[in-house]
Amino acid sequence: MTLIATTEAPSGTGQPRVTVLADRCAGCQECVIRCPVGALSMDTGRWIAQADDAVCVGCRQCVRTCPFSAIVVDGPMLVGPRAEPEPVQPERLVGDVGEVRRGFASWTEALAEADRCLACPDPTCVRGCPAHNDIPGFIAAVGRRDLQGAHEVLRRTSVLPDVCARVCNQAAQCEGSCTWSLAGGTPVAIGRLERFVTDTMAVPPPAAPLPGGGSSHGGMPVDGMSVGIIGAGPAAAGAAWALVEAGASVTVYEKDPVPGGLCNWGIPDFTLPEAVAARPWRQLTEAGVDLRCATEIRPEDLDRLLATHDAVIAAHGASMPMRLPVPGAELEGVTDATTFLQGAKAALEPGGDPVAFRAALGLAGQDGDPGREASRVLVLGAGNTAMDVARTARRLGLEATCVDWLDERFALTRPDELDEARHEGVEVRFCATVTRLDPDGDSGRVASAVLARTTQARADRPPKPLGGASEALRADLVVMAMGYRVDPTFAGTLPGTPVRRQAAGLADRHWSASGILAGPASAFADHYPVGTLALGREVGLWAAALPVRARVWTAGDALVGPSTVVEAMAQGRRAAAAVLDARPGRPDRAAPPGADRAARVLVCYESSGGHTARAATAIADGFTERGYKARVLPIAKVGPAELASADAVVVGSFVEGFVVAGVRPAKAMRAWLAGLPRLGGRPVGVFCTYAVAPKGALAAMRRALEDTGATVVAEAAFGPRQLKPEAGVSGPLVFGRQLARQLSVEGARGNGQ
Amino acid sequence: MAFDVQDRAAAPLADPVPVALRMRPPEREGLEERFASSDPNPGLDITRNPRVARLVRSRKFQFLLILPNQIVFWTVIFVGLLGTAVPGLNFGAAITWYVWFALVFVMMVVVGRAWCMMCPFGGFGEWIQRRTFFQRTQKTLGLGRKFPEPLARAGFLIPVVSFLLLTWIEEFFNIAGPGNPADTSWMVVGIVGSALVFFLVFERRTFCRYICPLTSLIGTIGSVGSVAGFRTRDREVCLNCETKDCMRGGTEGFGCPWYTWPGSADSNLYCGLCSECYKACPEDNVGLFLQRPLTSVVAPRRRRADVAWAVVLLWGLVLYQQINATNGYASFDNWLNSHLHFPHYPNPVAYLGSIALLALATAGAAWGIAALLARRDADLERPGSFVDRGSRFRAFFVPIAYGLIPVVGADYFARQLPKFFQHSARLVPSVQHIFGFSGAHSPIYSTRILSDPRIVLVQVIVIAAGTLGAAWCTWRIAGRELVAVGRSALAVRVTTLGLVAACGVVAALLYVAMHAAP
Repeated sequence: MTLIATTEAPSGTGQPRVTVLADRCAGCQECVIRCPVGALSMDTGRWIAQADDAVCVGCRQCVRTCPFSAIVVDGPMLVGPRAEPEPVQPERLVGDVGEVRRGFASWTEALAEADRCLACPDPTCVRGCPAHNDIPGFIAAVGRRDLQGAHEVLRRTSVLPDVCARVCNQAAQCEGSCTWSLAGGTPVAIGRLERFVTDTMAVPPPAAPLPGGGSSHGGMPVDGMSVGIIGAGPAAAGAAWALVEAGASVTVYEKDPVPGGLCNWGIPDFTLPEAVAARPWRQLTEAGVDLRCATEIRPEDLDRLLATHDAVIAAHGASMPMRLPVPGAELEGVTDATTFLQGAKAALEPGGDPVAFRAALGLAGQDGDPGREASRVLVLGAGNTAMDVARTARRLGLEATCVDWLDERFALTRPDELDEARHEGVEVRFCATVTRLDPDGDSGRVASAVLARTTQARADRPPKPLGGASEALRADLVVMAMGYRVDPTFAGTLPGTPVRRQAAGLADRHWSASGILAGPASAFADHYPVGTLALGREVGLWAAALPVRARVWTAGDALVGPSTVVEAMAQGRRAAAAVLDARPGRPDRAAPPGADRAARVLVCYESSGGHTARAATAIADGFTERGYKARVLPIAKVGPAELASADAVVVGSFVEGFVVAGVRPAKAMRAWLAGLPRLGGRPVGVFCTYAVAPKGALAAMRRALEDTGATVVAEAAFGPRQLKPEAGVSGPLVFGRQLARQLSVEGARGNGQ
Repeated sequence: MAFDVQDRAAAPLADPVPVALRMRPPEREGLEERFASSDPNPGLDITRNPRVARLVRSRKFQFLLILPNQIVFWTVIFVGLLGTAVPGLNFGAAITWYVWFALVFVMMVVVGRAWCMMCPFGGFGEWIQRRTFFQRTQKTLGLGRKFPEPLARAGFLIPVVSFLLLTWIEEFFNIAGPGNPADTSWMVVGIVGSALVFFLVFERRTFCRYICPLTSLIGTIGSVGSVAGFRTRDREVCLNCETKDCMRGGTEGFGCPWYTWPGSADSNLYCGLCSECYKACPEDNVGLFLQRPLTSVVAPRRRRADVAWAVVLLWGLVLYQQINATNGYASFDNWLNSHLHFPHYPNPVAYLGSIALLALATAGAAWGIAALLARRDADLERPGSFVDRGSRFRAFFVPIAYGLIPVVGADYFARQLPKFFQHSARLVPSVQHIFGFSGAHSPIYSTRILSDPRIVLVQVIVIAAGTLGAAWCTWRIAGRELVAVGRSALAVRVTTLGLVAACGVVAALLYVAMHAAP
């Protein structure tokens, strides 16, 4: 085991020293409420923060969260060394698919690591985790030796803790966002602690629905709702778990003969053992999920599914391998990562025949004879999939070389995975690209690859090929492992996908306040901007909560393109929660599940002088009279969470412009509409307020909303007469009543909630 | 009937992150007592008026205040450089020294940092830094550095030094005389240029808070003003706010450029009235409050040593300016220059020496009061930074200096009156002169608003008003802060009021002796 020492500050003093800049400290207490150890308090006489150096541990949370940069911390971080078990080094690599990475071997190690967690009041690790696991919560349970409690905490947000503990890139997620990491130190080994929990106590199966159909995890009764899920990857597992726990009838359609998706065939056993990968689907089928393997759903089948199920969650993943369009790509001996990994998995399993697999590919291994030359597999790409291919090839007794045109500084693979691959004998060449694949004479089979050098100055710039001499490299098999993409034939059926995971505009203020976005990325996080990446993931997470079309939600790689297991699982759970929240029903159902629930309408507006705000309130009153639950919010406070929680939406804006010229919705409204997520099939009412004439304002808003997939069911413009206070804003009130009548509970749901 | 997305029963889609938040409750001990005297009356929140609210919420609010001044001061620069060399006919020199400086003091005394709200120097730098005239942008131009901590610890002392330096330069080149109008232009260019450099190197309004020559003057004297600035409407809402958009910036407004939090502001010292906090607050919990005059002198519980030293140094400067306008000073300055081989007035040794001597004399008076009247059993020593450290001397000096603010402010205001009353009418021919009309023979050019004896009378009245204000402040401050640490309440009050009266009398006598000299 290696102990990673904490980063010592240059001063080398034994105790951190906190300086509160008295001139600039405004006494806002942002540091006080977030200090993990309570080292900061208020000097109530001067009303500025004061620090107790003796209590401070040097985590610099205060430095990151102070809005006015009024705190300086010098000195070391007082945290123990992190326990880092070294990877397993098999004596004979060939044929060995045993797990490489080790977990904590004992309670002593786990407790020591748990003790390093500061249990931050505003834990940035939680924001860095794509599933938002309550990390301090489960680590505290470990600290109490309460594995049951740790599982309960993890279960609130994750159904794949054993999988995530093994395959997540924690350095760019939770551990990269740990306060120690943000301070430039070594974070808590969150992934290993999660693994310790799942290694020591089995992950519990889905909880049985409560009597009456409710979920033991806070959901509401679903009364036999039927949900179809396309795919059986991590997104589908997350969704199916939440649905089956809520009492829904879940049918999963998987094109492969075995469930698991990428976890099954894309991640080799030495990273994710088959028993771990298979565990979720075993438990799900035992809990009653109807798993139909070898059943492929094509886009044209979607309407048929919708006729059978109340809702469909499309989680078919991104399994189409990308290929490099180079001369010679069509030669024999050129394959893709999926084909190679699927074949190799079967060959390396107990009872499999690696030699036969090699032979089928026309390859030969050393097979214990040092004088015999092994075939060389050339892997195009050096991402995680490429590493999996190359390391699998080594286990088949083959030589493996990865070639990537990126600079190693900007490599897409995890640094630890790259180290492990190199240690296992994989040759990895960066700043090189294949320009041509040449056959062996006239045989039609690939024999060599011509490589050219590239250069890359910045991560956000593509590499440029360099002129000069090229190099020929022997290649007996070429595996294209540049990643995967979503099946483009689904794009027409699932409009708006794949969603780009990039947060636009001002960062969420709570995220900024937590400090996760402050400062440069740490070395431990491989200099990933962990906060920015996490905020981008939120876009995908909330996109999963909104339907792409009537009664259809999307999650996982199918929604956002190639991503990660944990992200897909979290999106699946979010999509399932949205389905449970919306209670969609097939048109032929007499009484959709949850029909007794009051429908919810969100009235959002952009107001300048207060007229539009008053009109919005009056419209909401109209809805309330008809039994709706109505909520009125300015658009600045309306995000995906608010939109996802509404059965119907009413959008209103004042009209700006010069009487006849440039008349249009308010600028803020236009920007808001342009940034809206998909509102597939959601009924929407539109209104505007004007002084002289609305002209094309309503039409502009309607077009923008229809572009999101929303169904605009009514629109109205209110002039000065209807908005006079003495008129009792009767116009908007009547509009609200009419709209409420139009959007009757059945109508609203029939439109696809 | 409404629904809440955070209510799990109503909305299972609630974000799981808040579940993991276990933030400490903010401290509230002593909160009410701390702000009881300085919190403005809720009825004096002028943004309760919808029209005012709409105006202040507009992103163009500050831009429209800055724009006219921007036009005027770029005109000053160009006309000063390219126009006539006759100061009284040059628009640049005339508006700057006959009108603008006097108006700035009126704004200071009545409002506070009204000039900062519309300042073209800071405004220009801020436009460049934000890359916009008025929109809420996300990316700024420049390095965005933090002002070095050791310098920031000095608080108001750096701007006082920059004000002393600028005043000396202005006296040396006779810029404000006014002398050559081009010198006025170069001075303005220098201020705009240095402001721009600071705006591009440092974050927010570092220049305005830590460097600007006027900031210490406006900050201290502005505390007599009747605008409390942007303050919290409900402190509990501010305490519970977990985003502090008013400080970090929100969707509608930038974070406070002056490093002020409306939730803890107890004076108008650092409120630049830019309204960004008002725009940024997502809870609509910030208002623009009025207050009774002198409130920001008397009410703050936290008194800062840098402000106190700024007051006595500024007091020293204005007294120096009065003394050097008397008949005898010129011969002293000439004598010193001949011995120190300095070309001409003002001799820097005499300049700095006089200011230091006058400031130390004032501080010395406070030291004497402390030495004589401080209770021996009172524990007045307190560790801390330069701004907040406690000692027996500081326990008396700092509150006494605050009490002197009205008379210092009155003195500066009275100092501007001769130029205003004697020459402000020249603004009209100077404007006409830009378009080729009129000249020194215009009857308006020689028009005076008041005769010299009447100017002296007005100056004495202004000083008397300032002295009365200072006396009232000192009485209140002494009663609240000095009596408790003094051996005799009566002696403390008598001596501190005596110091105020002495200051007033000295200033008034000097004005009489100056005979309305500009």
